[in-house]
Amino acid sequence: MERHDLIVVGAGPSGLSAAIEAAKCGLDVVVFDECARPGGQLFKQIHKFFGSKEHKAKIRGFRIGEELLKEASDAGVQVVLNATVLGLYQEKEVLVRIGDEIRHVKGDAILVATGASENTLAFPGWTLPGVIGAGAAQTMMNLHGVKPGERVLMLGSGNVGLVVSFQLLQAGCEVVALVDAAPRIGGYGVHAAKVARCGVPFYLSHTIVRAEGTDHVTGVVIGEVDKSWQIIPGTEKHFDVDTICVAVGLSPMSQLLTMAGCDMADDPKKGGYVPVCDETGATSVPGIFVSGDVSGIEEASSAMIEGRIAGIAAAKYLGYVEQAAEENEVHALETSLDALRQGMFAPKNRGKDLRETEEGCPISQNLLRKGYLSDEEVFAYPGVRKIAGVHPVIECTQNIPCNPCQDACPKGCITIGENITSLPVVNPDAQCIGCGMCVASCSGQAIFLVDEDAGADTATVTLPYEFLPLPKAGDKGQALSRSGAPLCEAEVAGVRSAPAFDHTNLLTIRVPKAYAMRARFFQPMEGGCAEWANQWTVPETSAPSFRGPMTIC
Amino acid sequence: MSRIAEHPILGAPEKGRLVTFTYDGRPMQGYEGEPIAMALKAAGVMVHRYTAKRHEPRGIFCAIGRCTDCVMVVDGKPNVRTCMTPLREGMTVQTQDGVTAKVPEGGAPTDGKA
Repeated sequence: MERHDLIVVGAGPSGLSAAIEAAKCGLDVVVFDECARPGGQLFKQIHKFFGSKEHKAKIRGFRIGEELLKEASDAGVQVVLNATVLGLYQEKEVLVRIGDEIRHVKGDAILVATGASENTLAFPGWTLPGVIGAGAAQTMMNLHGVKPGERVLMLGSGNVGLVVSFQLLQAGCEVVALVDAAPRIGGYGVHAAKVARCGVPFYLSHTIVRAEGTDHVTGVVIGEVDKSWQIIPGTEKHFDVDTICVAVGLSPMSQLLTMAGCDMADDPKKGGYVPVCDETGATSVPGIFVSGDVSGIEEASSAMIEGRIAGIAAAKYLGYVEQAAEENEVHALETSLDALRQGMFAPKNRGKDLRETEEGCPISQNLLRKGYLSDEEVFAYPGVRKIAGVHPVIECTQNIPCNPCQDACPKGCITIGENITSLPVVNPDAQCIGCGMCVASCSGQAIFLVDEDAGADTATVTLPYEFLPLPKAGDKGQALSRSGAPLCEAEVAGVRSAPAFDHTNLLTIRVPKAYAMRARFFQPMEGGCAEWANQWTVPETSAPSFRGPMTIC
Repeated sequence: MSRIAEHPILGAPEKGRLVTFTYDGRPMQGYEGEPIAMALKAAGVMVHRYTAKRHEPRGIFCAIGRCTDCVMVVDGKPNVRTCMTPLREGMTVQTQDGVTAKVPEGGAPTDGKA
């Protein structure tokens, strides 16, 4: 029987990271994945990641995927694709289907990194074509270049719902509403704010009453829910949509571990039925390890570190590394992992109604309920200072583990300090040169350069812009508020793009001085919008289509 | 539905060559190697199958091979996950009704609902 030191199930971020570390320790490692491409869900992640440098912050997910694949190939990891693991038996025997062939493969150690699958929600019409998972939307638009729909309603305000809503806008779809039954937005405020300023309305304490349509979705009705989650009659609202995206969480895919006889536990904080494991991912069955979402839902950054820890632990289990070396390496990785598990959204703070940041600033309730900060609230945070001349305005108001802005500023204008969840502080005495590196480095797109002294009664606002077509200097349009409402006329003063910005363009608009601290997005004039729509669509080649009205952002 | 010509982060999508396949007997085009479901989606096809008992329509839900809602009859074989199966030139793709093809091979589409 084919035999390997370590068999890894799943070539996602966690499985690959584990395989890399184990191979570096000298193990013969094989990775099985049922997909045609490795990388799991990483290649659909087109936003910049959070964290600090060691967590690959400000690098887009798919680029991290490319790095990981190269690292795996350099380490001599063998990845077998189109290989579905069907069973995990006693004595660590794996049953894998490759094409039409079923093979038995034996591992001296096994690492299960099968990830998670999307949850859904049953409402009348939920099985209609056009009701899709948010992950499906990402797969269609980011992997295959196909728009999931023209007019989309997003259900779920966690990070997945927020990030995918923004990606839908980037793909040229219209997002008509973002809906969540919870009274507060579940994901990062910065993700919500970048969606809200594009004009997407948030409906918290709302859920879907029904999807409409006979053969596919043609509309959706939502309604407000009371404290016991019942729909309040008379609050129903209708939207014409062709697509409903469901982003209501993930469940660990832990079936193989149940099958292998590992001790399991139902843990709501981990997202469901998970194997009981120690901090290195060792389960109750000696030699079977787990890492990533299968052992508790988090995100890709922590899944990669967990994978590395489990890979080293598997090497130690097989005697490839000394205890002391293992302890050192694992300890360093655990410190790094711990840094990601801090702040307002840390697993330990899930479900808590926090009112103040670690610094004692009030947490914006507008941000939690509507997706944006009020014009008054914004001044309560240490990243927002009134300074003469051009300076960064950092609308980062929740303690999240992220600090690239601090390193991005060559002039020392921005300080976060040792604790990466601290709010960024803008130093009024440092001299901002307007380079915009901070704007491009902010994964949450929460940094703006504001200059209230840009001429008679004029201010300039530089904002991150990741849409097409890219406006040009001299283009006219309107400035939008944090809520996406039209504020005033605006003219594009300039657009900067650079390889270092990695597709985050810096758009500088000129607005009346009174709007300097309110204008946060730019919408080209109507004519520009139509042109935009044309650029986004390829002529239909054949077959019927269900094309909605072409309105964008 | 339409394809994205140019994406602000990803640029122009990399695609294989344009190939022809048949969908319920009529010719349709898609890119070689992309999942069958993507070619259908780009062409505006929403219904992949009808359920066996209640004849309800189903289409793509998860797009990563988990939910099996998108299964169709491909080259005469039922229950093929179209979101996971790469498109090849000359494939016959048929709407599934229960576990058989809704429209017989070579037959004309009967309801035009697609």
